[in-house]
Amino acid sequence: MNIHEYQAKKLLSKFGILIPNGRIAYTPHEAKRAANEVSARGPWMLKAQIQSGAREKGHFIEKSAGKKGGIRLVTHRRALIPEAEQMLGSTLVTPQTGPLGKSVGRIYVEAFQKVNQKFYAALVINRVQAALTLLVAKLEDGRTITQIAADTPERILKLPLNLQKGASIAQMREVREFLGLSEKSDKQLKSFVNGLHKAFIEHDASMIEINPAGVDYRGRIFALDAKMSFDDNAAYRHPDIVRLQDEYEEEDRALKASKYGFKYNDFDDSGIGCIVNGDGITLAAMDLIHEAKMGLACSLNVKGGVDKDKIAAGIKIIMTNPKVEGILINILGGFLRCNLIADGIVEAASEVGLNVPLVVRFEGTNKDEAKDILLNSKLPLIIADDMEDSVDKLVSAVEASY
Amino acid sequence: MSIFAHKNTKVLVQGITGTQASFHVRRSLEYGTNIVAGVTPGKGGTEHLGLPVFNTVKEAVEQTGANASVLFVPAKAVKGAVTEAAEAGLDLAVCITDGVPVLDMIQIKEMLKSHKTLLIGPNTPGLITPEEARLGIFPENIHQKGRIGIVSRSSTLTYEAVLETNRANMGQSTVIGLGDDMVIGSDYIPSLDAFAQDDETDAIVLIGQQGGGFEEAAAKHYKTMEIKKPVIAFVAGNSIPFAHKMGYAGEVIADGKTSVIDKRNAMLDAGMIVVDEINQIHQVLLDILS
Repeated sequence: MNIHEYQAKKLLSKFGILIPNGRIAYTPHEAKRAANEVSARGPWMLKAQIQSGAREKGHFIEKSAGKKGGIRLVTHRRALIPEAEQMLGSTLVTPQTGPLGKSVGRIYVEAFQKVNQKFYAALVINRVQAALTLLVAKLEDGRTITQIAADTPERILKLPLNLQKGASIAQMREVREFLGLSEKSDKQLKSFVNGLHKAFIEHDASMIEINPAGVDYRGRIFALDAKMSFDDNAAYRHPDIVRLQDEYEEEDRALKASKYGFKYNDFDDSGIGCIVNGDGITLAAMDLIHEAKMGLACSLNVKGGVDKDKIAAGIKIIMTNPKVEGILINILGGFLRCNLIADGIVEAASEVGLNVPLVVRFEGTNKDEAKDILLNSKLPLIIADDMEDSVDKLVSAVEASY
Repeated sequence: MSIFAHKNTKVLVQGITGTQASFHVRRSLEYGTNIVAGVTPGKGGTEHLGLPVFNTVKEAVEQTGANASVLFVPAKAVKGAVTEAAEAGLDLAVCITDGVPVLDMIQIKEMLKSHKTLLIGPNTPGLITPEEARLGIFPENIHQKGRIGIVSRSSTLTYEAVLETNRANMGQSTVIGLGDDMVIGSDYIPSLDAFAQDDETDAIVLIGQQGGGFEEAAAKHYKTMEIKKPVIAFVAGNSIPFAHKMGYAGEVIADGKTSVIDKRNAMLDAGMIVVDEINQIHQVLLDILS
């Protein structure tokens, strides 16, 4: 789960991390009032609150929103309302949002913070080492962290941290020297790194990214941007974080699926909708579909489902997606029993109708029972023997339906 | 011999009284798995599925001599349950439970450094040695006893790999699902080492997954192994660079480059046989082993 920049900043500031003064605004007039509150004279930053990186490099779809991106520097008070008007309600496209972009419903109005030096800092989990890892890099010459990671990865310092204690004294010194910070930033850096560590541990974060952090003339360190993701598996420990979730950010179908405990992915194409039970099998099926020159519309992962009604509700999410021209159901039953899926298919089809070709392949737990259920239902579906066979059969059925 | 679990392995089940656990334990018993006890705190002294139930792993081990555990406990109880299994000195713990918090897993891995217990999972279908032991939820009806070892990070593609070894008429020695959570108890390396030592395994099928640097680490290790058995590797996701949509963003810098192409190249470079489609595995097995 992700939260917005302004929410992340507020949370981090409780752990001693310095942030520029800022207020959230939903209307242009609120933006102007917010600007007056955060800084008497400006300049101000107007920042579109959508959950995506590279907002600065993004562009708005609407012509009325002007040519500037999702992060704007405003120096004159009279420009505040027009700029906010352009941004609010418009659709921001960034390299991470996909071509449809995301609608901007709120902007964060911040006092512009002058800094002399910028750096990247993140706390992430190194999966192979099973270690909480601090990443830092100097940001110079306008190069982004992605460029640095691709071209000069040695310029990123990676330090595994002790989970309970955080960075050691020696590690703090290493970070300061690596970033070329003066000694007057020593205390600041400690409280910055310790703040990140505490915020991470206490909220079961899965990633905190400060891109960039800025150092002012007094050596103070500010989080100029902030991105936080949280471990969904630990959500039960943090009802306060769950409340921050912005449901408008989640795609409708994904949100619905998540309510049943399933994972839904939407892809840019129209074509096949997959219902599977695992990420690996989604990918393998996609490879085969791709090879058959078919598009992939969406996928639903019903892994771990044990409730027939939830499975039926999940299948309906795919059946009612207008982009779907054919449905592939590939279930390898272990924990998940094939007969429950079969019941779910019959129930979903009886409620919303089955208007596109459907190919089903079952293997594993209770597969014969499942096949009997489908055959007895008299639904116009095709049963396949293996994954390759299921993709072949579906592709020919979809092509025949054009 | 098979690896990690066989017909003489004495298995206990933590969280045995739950619905899902009961369903699968009954099937494992019918399969012939040597399950000797269950553990559910507060239900000690009762019986479930004809097995004695104990309050703690320690008691169960003392009374029955169990040396392996399968865990079906709720996600929030995993940290405590694995610690209990490790402190009781078990050789093996297979955690089926999904939804374990990442920070709990990091603490579990730290704790396991000072114990001998090998943790498989969480979020795995488990481990099966056909006709001998089923520790988990693998659909036993698709397995055939044989001489190919399978180790996989993808649950569902494990089943496909099993079907491929059947197609080649070679069956499986042991099949291990590592799970595909952010942090997993064991990576490929313990399985590669154990298969190398196992007289009943002729070749290994390795099924990878997008994200993480686990396949790269396996390749690096394979290069240094003294006994090398053929490894046939497959990683799904050749066609679509959509890592962020599957929720694997943010780890790229930490783990290094971990695209499917990088994984394949690392494994090829280490001398593994890498196939493009999973359904090519049976042919490769036939080519190299007959």
